[in-house]
Amino acid sequence: MLYSTFYLGETQMAVPIPCILEIGRSFNFHPVRGTPDVIDGLINLRGKVVTIVNLGLAFEESKIEPSDESRIFIFKNNSELNEVADSDMVIETAPDNIGIHVDRISDVIRVESEELQAVPANMVHPFYKYVVRRNDTFIIIIEPSKILNLHETPELLS
Amino acid sequence: MSESKNIKFNIYNPIITYEHRAAYDMIVSHLQEIFPICNQGKCKALEVSDDPQKQKQINDLMEKVEFFSNSLITITKVFFDQLYRAKQASSQSISQSTAMTKIDMIERNLLERTCDVRWWALEKAFWQCITLANKAKSTANTKILKEGVDLACTRLEDIRNSYTLYRDLVIADKNGIVIANSNAGRRSKVMGMDVSNEEWFCKALDTKDGTEYFVQDVSKSGLEEMDALIYSTALRANGDEQGEVIGAMGVLFDFQGESQIILNEYLPNDKNDETLEGWFSFFTNNDGRVICSSDENFIPSGKIAELPRSHRNLSKAGEDIVSTGTVCGNRSLIVSHKSKGFDEYKGLEWTSHLVLPESAMFERSLTNEDYEISPQELMNSKLIPQKNQQTYREIQRNKGDIQLISINGIILATDLGKAGTSFIPIFDQITTTGNSTTGKMEELLSEMSSDMLQQNLKALENFSKQAIDLIDRNLFERAADVRWWSTDHAFWEALQEGSNENFEQAAKRLGIINASYTMYRDLVIADSNGRIVANSKSENRDKLKRMNVSEQSWFRQGMQISRSVQFGVQDVCDSDLENEETSLIYCGGILEDGQREGKVLGVLGIFFDWGNLVYPILEGCLPRIKGEVVDGGAAFYVNDEHKVIATTDSENFKIGQVVNLPSENLNLEPGESASGTFVANEKKYIIGSSKTQGYREYKGLCWTAHVVRPID
Repeated sequence: MLYSTFYLGETQMAVPIPCILEIGRSFNFHPVRGTPDVIDGLINLRGKVVTIVNLGLAFEESKIEPSDESRIFIFKNNSELNEVADSDMVIETAPDNIGIHVDRISDVIRVESEELQAVPANMVHPFYKYVVRRNDTFIIIIEPSKILNLHETPELLS
Repeated sequence: MSESKNIKFNIYNPIITYEHRAAYDMIVSHLQEIFPICNQGKCKALEVSDDPQKQKQINDLMEKVEFFSNSLITITKVFFDQLYRAKQASSQSISQSTAMTKIDMIERNLLERTCDVRWWALEKAFWQCITLANKAKSTANTKILKEGVDLACTRLEDIRNSYTLYRDLVIADKNGIVIANSNAGRRSKVMGMDVSNEEWFCKALDTKDGTEYFVQDVSKSGLEEMDALIYSTALRANGDEQGEVIGAMGVLFDFQGESQIILNEYLPNDKNDETLEGWFSFFTNNDGRVICSSDENFIPSGKIAELPRSHRNLSKAGEDIVSTGTVCGNRSLIVSHKSKGFDEYKGLEWTSHLVLPESAMFERSLTNEDYEISPQELMNSKLIPQKNQQTYREIQRNKGDIQLISINGIILATDLGKAGTSFIPIFDQITTTGNSTTGKMEELLSEMSSDMLQQNLKALENFSKQAIDLIDRNLFERAADVRWWSTDHAFWEALQEGSNENFEQAAKRLGIINASYTMYRDLVIADSNGRIVANSKSENRDKLKRMNVSEQSWFRQGMQISRSVQFGVQDVCDSDLENEETSLIYCGGILEDGQREGKVLGVLGIFFDWGNLVYPILEGCLPRIKGEVVDGGAAFYVNDEHKVIATTDSENFKIGQVVNLPSENLNLEPGESASGTFVANEKKYIIGSSKTQGYREYKGLCWTAHVVRPID
């Protein structure tokens, strides 16, 4: 399967391509009063209202500020994901279109299923699903549904 | 990128290097490969999907890729133009400042000469000698006249020994007959010579009072074989500035020797220490005639310089011109700067010219030193012109856009399932091509920024060299002054006689000297016990009279002096003698009977008005852009303990502070220059440093000049 990789600080992470609807530059976020800090705001993507999660804050690190390099990954919602043909992997996202704001994007990589390794016990995190080794580096495969359904991890919303 | 219409350096310009042309060809051919790939993508969209919306999405992506590829081709053209323009501008700016520095150096020197000649004309031995010569004609008292002439010659020799910049000094009576000179080697030729038809003599007689002088531009004189630059003024009865004119004094400045030193500075040398081919530096007078040249074989003195007319006919003081043309068969950059004199000295309307091969402007800097500045940091720094920064950002943006389009294309292809897999190689290819071309451009930008860094460092090095040279030259003059003044009869007479009347006379004489200069706080005479017996400023007298200076370095050095050509220096320090943080004191030995060699009776100490002397020099050596000092730019001197002794930025580089500079900049050999980077006060700076090499017989005080500017 193809994965789109990106960086949060110096950590390279990846999400499966089929669950991505589109990647764009930092949009103008419409802030919404009363939402948790982890939410950058809402954007309008060709008529769709999309909530943007700041991945830096979601990991309880520093906030990602919009820049020339920062990007927004917009994920398909679950029903859009089901419509995608030939998906050979069971992936879930969220009932709505939700995006994540990352520091910068990197390459698209192809990862064979046998390359996916379990996350070592000492670095378990609710968002991490697998680890992939590429040359001398490790890429962490993220479970989008965990980030996109933050209400299931209420401590991040506090 | 509307500038693409105004491209000056297109890729076929012969000045563009082979490597750059090859890089351009590579970028453009790679970008052109994208267009057929996009066409292929558009056709495939029709094949793999019947959904018009999906087809449109793919078509849109392909068109975007084509748009950004086209845009990158245009940027590439503009980029090379900007690269060469930036190199040209930076090189021209350094050359302009070099040409200006050279004429400024000589004019500063000549200002000193105008002061010298007026001051010396008041010397008793000279006007007495002329008076005796005039009397002798009627009384035929040749013995007294001979004694007077001998004394005048001795005093002229003393001057020449103290101020080594003169080939000869002569005095002539009112009829233009030379009656004394300083150069014993030429005495038999010069004495008795009739100079009444020489311009320097006639104009000296026409001066209205002791404040006036005349300068005869470089030309032939009967006094010597080579072309001479002569300063002259009238000798007046009783040394009175308003007195009757009784003769004239002419001083023959070693213009050629001095100019050679200045002209050869800042010219690059090969490994045999020969100036690189095609580099010339020379001065012309207001007729456009060469008066001194760094290379007499190619640009001979006395001839009209083979330069474009516009360079020979600069009309306004301080005007400069830059152009390209052929000089001595080479395509050259020619920079000319017309003198505006210095201070009250108006100059002789000379012009300084610097010629260098045109190709030298565009040479890659060969040094591969690591200055610990990343290409990104450099590209975003103030060292890089804004236009080039914009290009850099545009390239970065296009690179990001192409990457984004490719990934979104891959997302779209993935959504098409198996049918979409044929798109993946297309988008892969787009990503690869986009990365390789923008990568190459980033490489070139990094080359450009590194060249700009090198040029900026070179400019700072030049400024630091100028700063140390100017202070050394100034202190050379002061060293000459203190040696000459120490021989003044009022001083040795006062110490020998020891009467209050004599001390009063000495104080009066010190007062006259101090009033003629702006750079001294005070001048004092200490007797052999270290007691101050006279000084120039009456307001300091009471305080100084109570002081004993026998333990002070300047006094102890002065008491070791046994010859009038020697002098001593107490380096800049916090001295009890003055309520100042920075005292610089020069001293000369006052010898018995005013002899050139003998027993020391006491010491003449001169206290510099350090700030007044040094800050104008440092201010003049600050890095500037279009005449404005760059933000945060600073210049400072450090002594041999690396402590700051003068600064233009007392907030960041304080007096007495040891600035944490790179060791290459701190531990220079005499005459060496270096550049580098350092961090101070949480700012990153670039720095140029030059250590003193002294000037003529003045060895310098181991000081180093540093000129810095922050990069952010």
